[in-house]
Amino acid sequence: MPPANGGFMVAAYVAAAVIYLAYTGWLYWRSRGR
Amino acid sequence: MRSVLAEAWTIAAKDLLLEFRSRTAFLSALVFTALVLAIFNFARDPTAVSATDLAPSVLWITFSFAGVLGLNRAFSLEKENRAIDGLLLSPASRTSLYLGKTLANLVFVGAVEAIALPLFALFFNVPLLDVLGALVLVIALATVGFVAVGTLMSSMAVNTRFGEMMLLVLVLPFLLTPVSTAAEITAKLFAHRPFAEWAPWLKLLAAYDITFVVLCTLVFEFTLEE
Amino acid sequence: MTAIPSAERALKRGGILTAVGLLLVAGVYVRALAFTPEEATQGLAQKIFYIHAPSAWVALYLAYGIVGIFSVLYLFLKDPRLDLLAASSAEVGTVFTTVVLVTGPIWGKTIWGAWWTWDARLTSTLFLYFIYLSYLVLRSAVDEPGRRARYSAVLGILGALLVPFIHMTVYLFRTLHPMPVVLQPGRPRVPGPMLVTILYAFFAFTVFYFGLLWRRYAWARLRAARAEREADGADASR
Repeated sequence: MPPANGGFMVAAYVAAAVIYLAYTGWLYWRSRGR
Repeated sequence: MRSVLAEAWTIAAKDLLLEFRSRTAFLSALVFTALVLAIFNFARDPTAVSATDLAPSVLWITFSFAGVLGLNRAFSLEKENRAIDGLLLSPASRTSLYLGKTLANLVFVGAVEAIALPLFALFFNVPLLDVLGALVLVIALATVGFVAVGTLMSSMAVNTRFGEMMLLVLVLPFLLTPVSTAAEITAKLFAHRPFAEWAPWLKLLAAYDITFVVLCTLVFEFTLEE
Repeated sequence: MTAIPSAERALKRGGILTAVGLLLVAGVYVRALAFTPEEATQGLAQKIFYIHAPSAWVALYLAYGIVGIFSVLYLFLKDPRLDLLAASSAEVGTVFTTVVLVTGPIWGKTIWGAWWTWDARLTSTLFLYFIYLSYLVLRSAVDEPGRRARYSAVLGILGALLVPFIHMTVYLFRTLHPMPVVLQPGRPRVPGPMLVTILYAFFAFTVFYFGLLWRRYAWARLRAARAEREADGADASR
């Protein structure tokens, strides 16, 4: 019976998504041109 | 080759003479070291943690601090006197310049370590004499590794906005190998483990020294203005 | 003056590649979460592997490798664009390293019961993170572009040579990391659907990295070209 650690999985997936999306967004925003 | 070493020695001697005249940096480094040792001694619970268990880490934290202080001192000397400009105008080669500065820093840090070591033995009651030779070798190797990189970083940090903070930030990742391998070897020495047990760490430390002394010597000229 | 239009075109293309990369990564999420079997002993948390491992590959090898290579090239060739590429890779690499250092301990907590053990791989990653950060701080502390490029290149090269030493140092100490199961001679121990997912994930994150790199590099070139145009304009109007 595997341990119930789905919450950790969700936390990691969400955290990674937030970090990548935040950086991508920031990069686009900085470089959007005048 | 001979002239490079001769030039380096001249540069080192000049730096050390300046230091000897004022002596304040050296004395503050010593006081600081003694303070760190004393604090560590009081901070531990003697019934819970034996001195021999803690000793290697304490020694190397102390030496790391001493090393950073030494580099900072060389750094502020540089900033104050803009000594480097004078040296660049001289016929000395870039390599002699780097080697000379590194040598001066080594002597400074080495002197602090030479005084800190007996103090350490005293406060922590660790029998050093039977492993003294190997211990001195390890200390020398780790210090060379640390100072070689630190001297290079110093010549960059002096031209940046953040000064000594920048020096620390630049040097920090490069401390892992020399300090942790030296601490591990020291621990094995204090526990009287056979050479075979700490040989791998010694090899790694030696490899690190060779790699970075050569590398730093090669790239040093890129840290100087044209 | 072709630098500005060229950089603007690169900016657009970088943007497209990034969008493609982002879609591919979204595909990783879907595939890993919905279409890949759960691991028998570790539970759902094992799926963090599909985000963590590809990010680590990009952060530690691809991104930093590019920083190292282009630092050496800059010192030899002195072309400022080489410096801009290295710097862009450092910035993007730092982002990927952040993800590694966030997902790693979360996964580690489920395996080891502790958020941080001085495990070989995570500790190496942590020290590489310090190198990345010191590279970025150094750049922010030097205003003159020529000196900034030179100093960055020196640090980039030293850092690149430090990486193997960090690996060896940390490896000599205790290792707790799960042993690599994918790249082994002969039969990989990862069952079929999991293998497909992880290989796809490596591909997706690599594309995503290149998209971000291209966009970031294009923007750096654009800024440099505009600054140069302003300087030329100021000279001309005298």
